[in-house]
Amino acid sequence: MDWVPIAWLGGIAFGFAVFSVVAGALTGPRRYNRAKLQAYECGIEPTPQPVGGGRFPVKYYLTAMLFIVFDIEIVFLYPWAVAFDSLGLFGLIEMVLFIATVFVAFAYVWRRGGLEWD
Amino acid sequence: MTVAAVVSAASVPAASVSAAAADSIPAPHIEYGVLSPLFVVFGAAVLGVLVEAFAPRAARWAVQVGLTVLGLVGAFVAVVLVASSDDWKGARAVVAEGAVTVDGPTLFLQGTILLLAFVAVLLLAERRLDPGPSGAFAAQASTVPGSPGEREATRAGAAQTEVFPLTLFAVGGMLLFPAANDLLVAFVALEVLSLPLYLLCGLARRRRLLSQEAAMKYFLLGAFSSAFFLYGIALLYGYAGSIRLSEIADAATQAQGSDVLLLSGVGLVTVGLLFKAGAAPFHAWTPDVYQGAPTAVTAFMAACTKVAAFGALLRIYYVAFGGLKWEWRPLMWGVAILTMLVGAVISLTQQDVKRMLAYSSIAHAGFVLVGVLAADDAGLRGVLFYLLAYGFATIGAFAVVTMVRDPAGEATHLSQWAGLGRRSPLVAGAFAIFLLSFAGIPLTSGFMSKYAVFSAALDGGASPVVVVAVLASVVAAFFYVRVIVLMFFSEPAADGPTVAVPSILTTVALALGVTVTLVLGVIPQPVLDLAGDAAAFVR
Amino acid sequence: MNDTASLLADDPWWLIAFKAVCVFGFLVVITLFNIVFERRVVARMQHRIGPNRHGPFGSLQSLADGVKLAFKEDLTPSTADKVVFFLAPVISTAPAFLAFAVIPFGPEVSIFGERTTLQLADFPVGVLYVLAIASVGIYGIVLAGWSSGSTYPLLGGLRSSAQMISYEVAMGLSFVAVFLVAGSMSTSQIVAEQSDWWYGVILFPSFAIYLVAMVGETNRAPFDLPEAEGELVGGFHTEYSSLKFALFFLAEYINMVNVSALATTLFLGGWRAPWPISLWDGANEGWWPLLWWIAKVVILIFVFVWLRGTLPRLRYDQFMKLGWKGLIPVSLAWIVLLATVLTVRRETDIDTRTLLFTFAGILVVGLLLSFVWDAVAARKEATKLEVRTAPRQRDAFSGGFPVPPLPGQSLDEPARQPAHSGAAAPDAGTTGPDTAQEGDRG
Repeated sequence: MDWVPIAWLGGIAFGFAVFSVVAGALTGPRRYNRAKLQAYECGIEPTPQPVGGGRFPVKYYLTAMLFIVFDIEIVFLYPWAVAFDSLGLFGLIEMVLFIATVFVAFAYVWRRGGLEWD
Repeated sequence: MTVAAVVSAASVPAASVSAAAADSIPAPHIEYGVLSPLFVVFGAAVLGVLVEAFAPRAARWAVQVGLTVLGLVGAFVAVVLVASSDDWKGARAVVAEGAVTVDGPTLFLQGTILLLAFVAVLLLAERRLDPGPSGAFAAQASTVPGSPGEREATRAGAAQTEVFPLTLFAVGGMLLFPAANDLLVAFVALEVLSLPLYLLCGLARRRRLLSQEAAMKYFLLGAFSSAFFLYGIALLYGYAGSIRLSEIADAATQAQGSDVLLLSGVGLVTVGLLFKAGAAPFHAWTPDVYQGAPTAVTAFMAACTKVAAFGALLRIYYVAFGGLKWEWRPLMWGVAILTMLVGAVISLTQQDVKRMLAYSSIAHAGFVLVGVLAADDAGLRGVLFYLLAYGFATIGAFAVVTMVRDPAGEATHLSQWAGLGRRSPLVAGAFAIFLLSFAGIPLTSGFMSKYAVFSAALDGGASPVVVVAVLASVVAAFFYVRVIVLMFFSEPAADGPTVAVPSILTTVALALGVTVTLVLGVIPQPVLDLAGDAAAFVR
Repeated sequence: MNDTASLLADDPWWLIAFKAVCVFGFLVVITLFNIVFERRVVARMQHRIGPNRHGPFGSLQSLADGVKLAFKEDLTPSTADKVVFFLAPVISTAPAFLAFAVIPFGPEVSIFGERTTLQLADFPVGVLYVLAIASVGIYGIVLAGWSSGSTYPLLGGLRSSAQMISYEVAMGLSFVAVFLVAGSMSTSQIVAEQSDWWYGVILFPSFAIYLVAMVGETNRAPFDLPEAEGELVGGFHTEYSSLKFALFFLAEYINMVNVSALATTLFLGGWRAPWPISLWDGANEGWWPLLWWIAKVVILIFVFVWLRGTLPRLRYDQFMKLGWKGLIPVSLAWIVLLATVLTVRRETDIDTRTLLFTFAGILVVGLLLSFVWDAVAARKEATKLEVRTAPRQRDAFSGGFPVPPLPGQSLDEPARQPAHSGAAAPDAGTTGPDTAQEGDRG
């Protein structure tokens, strides 16, 4: 039952978004021009792109992986924080150890330049 | 004043909540003493990462080697201390809220893994055979092979000293894997031991493309098999309502629920375990990975991973699926026979020493499975002994492979080994001892270990398998003897490889391998007794 | 189940629907308001007047813009992945609306004779729900950038996703302190716990981190790098036009409202009246709290606008450095510190003041050490750079273009010809060497 309101709001929001996307295609004018449909690149001939997107720097993968590491750390931190009062000293020590361990890896990435962008 | 007031105000809601949560969650009880080997190894690994982050480049190699050796020795001392105390006897063996079991087999396997890892680390730390700051490893693994970046890194004296923390993490996973008392812990341990190994395989300094290909294959297939394992866990959980091994066993004996779930769960978990153990038909990765990985890593993998994988296989099969003996034994018969035949027969056609050793390791996985088939304490004792003996022999054999070199690096083609015995009888003699041990010739450890598992399997009623095992041994022996003949009784090629003089590290590793192989062959009784004392799983 | 949740569980279906429509309507209207508000305020900050033609004070400007956008041509680039290109604005917009569902904006009231609270839904894991839904919105941006089949959107989409996930970590960490003290992840419970002190005051470090992270999370100035006009045209939505573009715009502004509302809920006491007003007994009763809540949200929106009017855009590396090397370590240290203080207070009878001074001392020493470390590292770096760049003196016109010196290098002053030093002195410095080099190059 908790999720019924979400379903209502979700229905309205999705409906509105889909309606807008469809309506935009119907209400606007259509004047075909081949050049207009090319990828925008400041007026020059667009750079040809391989199918499925071009290559991009490996740094983004690295950032994504670090994000996953920290997001999982956060996922572990939340229940601990909520139950903090009942877990007592044991919970604190274990969690500090956990944070410290993740931080060691973070320090390694940091020192090795994994967080540098140029 | 204001700050103090603020913080005391902060306590108001906290206090009200703690009153609300009166039914507090009990803090889990962790037996730190019994688990200390794990803590020592993982602690050393984390320290190693810190060393990587903060130690100056010039000092890293020495610090890392010291730290790794210290960690392994410390963990071994901890294992001995735990084993000599009474903490692990009886019901107290199940620790950490039931997640881990520290019983006889666990301690024996952990000791074995630590000893083997120690010898393997000696090989990893060898830098004289392949001169340079990075030893047998790539200066910088992330550079493209043959690129200017690689030359730059080599010139700058870079070294991938992460090898040592990675090894320690893998060892930590291996220590946990045979001790895991529930399937989820087993899965975590499996990943902890596998992920560093995938990386280590791709770090070779020579023939880097081959090495990277090996790492990629190992990673993809390993990830695939992990998925099988995990899916099997899910099915077993669906069947038993628990991931605890003993509760799965209870559910299986009471025969509640659907047999389809149970049997497919058993099958899928088996796939994951057999993959790590390198048994047919999940052995396909072994030759490529063993060949491509840096030889020291191959030695580490061949010895330690096998011990850990068979340890976990034994525990899961004996404890969780013990009541299903009649269901899984036919399957295991088939797997054992297939593994032995594939390993022995295909190794006949190999022309590369590392590939040959890889197929030999497959064959040995089959022999160990024969011991698993016995499904009693005698079989367990045999398997424990076999793993220890085989581990030392195989590390020694790979140590020899690192020493036979030509200008391009290790000379692994079999034809290049012709006449090696005439040039350096000592090294060739050591290799011959390992081969004889693989073949199971008396007075070597291989004979005693084969005898132990085969006799246990005979008593356990698996005589057809034993017959095949003996036949496979004969086939393999033929091949090993052929290599010995090649080394000692054929003319050396003019431009053949030379046996490089290693540093003290490889020498010690080789000497340990020879000594253990011979000692276990001549006076095996103390170790057999030790394995026999240890050989009872606590449920 | 707390009071709010049980009260909400009794809602009849028409009330739920009514509230859902109200939330939706509120978000659309406040977006229209925000756009005008932003343009007017920024204009004032820049000594302009801003839009003032449509409606009183130009308040219908954004509506007019929206209608205009609907009658623009809807282009789909020929290189685009049509389906994803079509779906991306939807994926971006709908979660923005959904994230608002758990925000409490008022206490118990009566709507058409039905007792209920001014909140659409209440979960025990309300804040986690907001985070989860917000992450789904990132997909919309990545997919929009990727599906356009064009270079700028791809880079913009990657940048914004990297940026959002980086700041999501900081944002997630800043919540931990709130959960520690509140002992709950339910938004209504957290508001209830703030009846005495707002968490923005007692957990100020968390609040500060959240404020920075929320600006990064919404891709707003000074962190609007994905849309850096000078570099990436328009970022991930370069190829979008017509109502699809309007949807991205809408999503961005709703996300601003969302993070502001979340900040209000977690740190600013939610719908509770601020201090002088809270002395009045009726301030937290009935419909009044809705007013306080909207006021707080609008003030936070004003902060967004203020930042945009004040600060220049960061460079990408500086931005990531702030997130990864600043906010995350500081948040982690703060969490550990807070948890330790709370535990020590609970387990022992050490005086709070002693404790605070101890930690303040540790903090000061740590800060000093970090400054020393930084200074030493900077000096080391400088000397290293000096050693590495072999010619200390360098040609200011290498390759024929005037280039500035690198760090550690000094510009070699062009040697003046004695002949020029006389009459044509002003020109000698600039044209003299240049022409000489021209001659050299032939």
